[in-house]
Amino acid sequence: MKIRAQYAMVLNLDKCIGCHTCSIPCKNVWTNRDGAEYMWFNNVECKPGIGYPKKWENQEIHKGGWHLNGDTLQLKAGGRIHKGLNIFHNPDLPVIDDYYEPWNYDYARLIESPKRKHQPSVRPHSRLTGKPIDLKWGPNWEDDLAGLGETGAGDANFKNLEIATYLQFRNVFMFWLPRLCEHCLNPACVASCPSGALYKREEDGIVLVDQERCRGWRYCVSGCPYKKVYFNWKTGRAEKCIFCYPRVEAGLTTLCAHSCVGRIRYVGVLLYDLDRIAETAAAPSDQDVYPAHLDILLDPNDPDIERAAASQGIAPNMLAAAKKSPVYALIKDWRLALPLHPEFRTLPMVWYVPPLSPVSRQIDPSQEADAIDRMRIPITYLANLLTAGDEAPVRMALQRLAAVRRYMRTQRVEKQADTGVLDAVGLDEETVAKIYRLLALARLEDRFVLPTKSVVQDEDSYARQGCCGFGEAL
Amino acid sequence: MDLSYTLVFTVFPYLCLTTFVVGHSYRYVTDRYAWNARSSQLLDNKSLRWGTVLFHLGIILTFLGHAGGLLIPQKYYDLFGITSQMHLAIAHWMGEVVGIAALAGCLLLLRRRLTNDRVRAAGSVNDLITLGGLTLVVAGGVYNVFFGNYNVLDSVAPWIRGIVFFSPEPELMRPVPLGFKIHVTLAWALLGFSPFSRLVHIWSAPVFYFFRNPILFRRNPELTRKVVDSRS
Ligand code: HEM
Ligand code: SF4
Ligand code: SF4
Repeated sequence: MKIRAQYAMVLNLDKCIGCHTCSIPCKNVWTNRDGAEYMWFNNVECKPGIGYPKKWENQEIHKGGWHLNGDTLQLKAGGRIHKGLNIFHNPDLPVIDDYYEPWNYDYARLIESPKRKHQPSVRPHSRLTGKPIDLKWGPNWEDDLAGLGETGAGDANFKNLEIATYLQFRNVFMFWLPRLCEHCLNPACVASCPSGALYKREEDGIVLVDQERCRGWRYCVSGCPYKKVYFNWKTGRAEKCIFCYPRVEAGLTTLCAHSCVGRIRYVGVLLYDLDRIAETAAAPSDQDVYPAHLDILLDPNDPDIERAAASQGIAPNMLAAAKKSPVYALIKDWRLALPLHPEFRTLPMVWYVPPLSPVSRQIDPSQEADAIDRMRIPITYLANLLTAGDEAPVRMALQRLAAVRRYMRTQRVEKQADTGVLDAVGLDEETVAKIYRLLALARLEDRFVLPTKSVVQDEDSYARQGCCGFGEAL
Repeated sequence: MDLSYTLVFTVFPYLCLTTFVVGHSYRYVTDRYAWNARSSQLLDNKSLRWGTVLFHLGIILTFLGHAGGLLIPQKYYDLFGITSQMHLAIAHWMGEVVGIAALAGCLLLLRRRLTNDRVRAAGSVNDLITLGGLTLVVAGGVYNVFFGNYNVLDSVAPWIRGIVFFSPEPELMRPVPLGFKIHVTLAWALLGFSPFSRLVHIWSAPVFYFFRNPILFRRNPELTRKVVDSRS
């Protein structure tokens, strides 16, 4: 057993209000530059929809991630030989129109316009060419289901569902899916990079692009099944979410998580067994990946694991954070959070609590048990999104969420706590109190449990005062 | 000895080679951040494909052909029973095929660089000089292969070996037709210019990819020190 620590995030989709606040500080701090203006390290998609870039989930088109060939795990786009032969023209690279052509407005016209009969107007112009463009697509083009009739049928999560039914107005459903790099345990982007520029940080699992080693072969961009590596068209290099490592090292959470208005994001430390990554990612069927993934996440409160972790060099403060990890509780203890598209086999580390939704038909209270199956958002859809189509874990997570609500309602409003609902889903009152505290109250100190970067003891920090930062550049 | 021959066929090549070596080293040390292929595929995919594939296959084979044909003296080919007649014929036919491929690729890429709005906006003058220069060199080479009709094995080849092995003999170039003289001079110039262009990507061709682990980890060096400390 080789124990590694990893930052992970959980997003509670049940509470995401689709405000896009998370995307803004990220954009302002990390991608507010020419060549990166079209990149959204964090974006919020409205589901159903084909997303950003278009149809990113459909790997028959994009060829991202891994697949099983017989029982060996291979990059879906092809191995090293294939990459070597196609390096001059990557057959699977999305074009910028799949994201969107970035644009700007010439606001000066509003001020400089001479006096005329009509108000001056500003037209969008392309940030690539400077020429006027007609906007036909953009980031969030599908927000609030805009254009669902046109794009909805392209949503890969409708697999095994009658799409036409759900595109009818009376059956329509909607929720938001905020997305960022998953900082995977088995990252396809890293395996795809011919230069070895992408790497995973051993001490915390953050996946980064070494900007001085990136030679612009652009295979990471097509290799990532979540399409979370972007190609800077101006500098010719790849860029991706950095999990705000300068903040995280200082014990602060990421910008997207910190700014989240719905307080839906949880960030913490997980321990996992590195030796079992290969077998986990090569689990025999797509639906086996999620349980196998759960299996390699180690319990930091198990004394054996703790001892092993300490002896293998996991820093004491990292270990302490792992023991209080909100993400471990949500993912493993309570099984409320599920991975995004585990069938891509990269073992993603940003997980999602599935959203409850209104029950679509009036039901008899005696039937409340199967209310979950009558919710507007079909379980099958969520299962296609989160568990490679396996409905049981999704149903369990939703039932537990519903049970917590029901229990709290009986306790607070009816003054007669109904523990029966808890027994049915395998929870006890103590656990529910914790879940309630974490999900409903969602206090800052409970949501984010991050250690500061380990500091080397022999370092003379006084001597280093004023030695880093922007220096002459500012 | 004719001064102009010394200048053009000894001094100029060494000047270019010096810039080539010093330029690459300098840039690798000071400007690794910009050391890459500067792909423009993201901006425009379709028009790139044939141009880049034809060009690269053509140019890389041309490269190998030049290295094999010019740097290895004929006497080693004789050992394997390849007479200079056969050598020339092979060079001729292969040269025609890969040269045409490279030239067609150059022209397609050049058209794309000049006419595609996005590629033009994102590109630089440097890109145009690089591609324009390559087109001229390749076009010159193709012209020589088709119409030159001249045995380079006894003149140009030993002259180049002379430069590479530091015993230059510019007089060897005297009988060589003008077309070849222009081709080699432009090629030296391009070589000298290449460290300052995107051509640096050639030297980063990812050979180690074929041997390395798929997933890479890097450890913060400070932490490594710490682990060592705590064990001692
Ligand atoms: C040795 C292996 C080589 C590799 C792996 C390689 C790879 C590449 C790649 C990935 C691009 C970017 C294409 C794109 O997406 O826009 C490119 C462009 C280019 N390469 Fe290479 N290359 C190699 C050798 C060469 C050689 C030998 C030359 C010429 C002497 C060359 C000249 C160029 C030029 C001029 C471009 C720019 C084309 C354009 O967009 O106008 N390459 N190369
Ligand atoms: S989600 Fe992030 S870590 Fe995973 S493959 Fe994509 S870029 Fe790499
Ligand atoms: S800030 Fe939070 S609530 Fe708002 S869209 Fe982002 S994740 Fe959802």
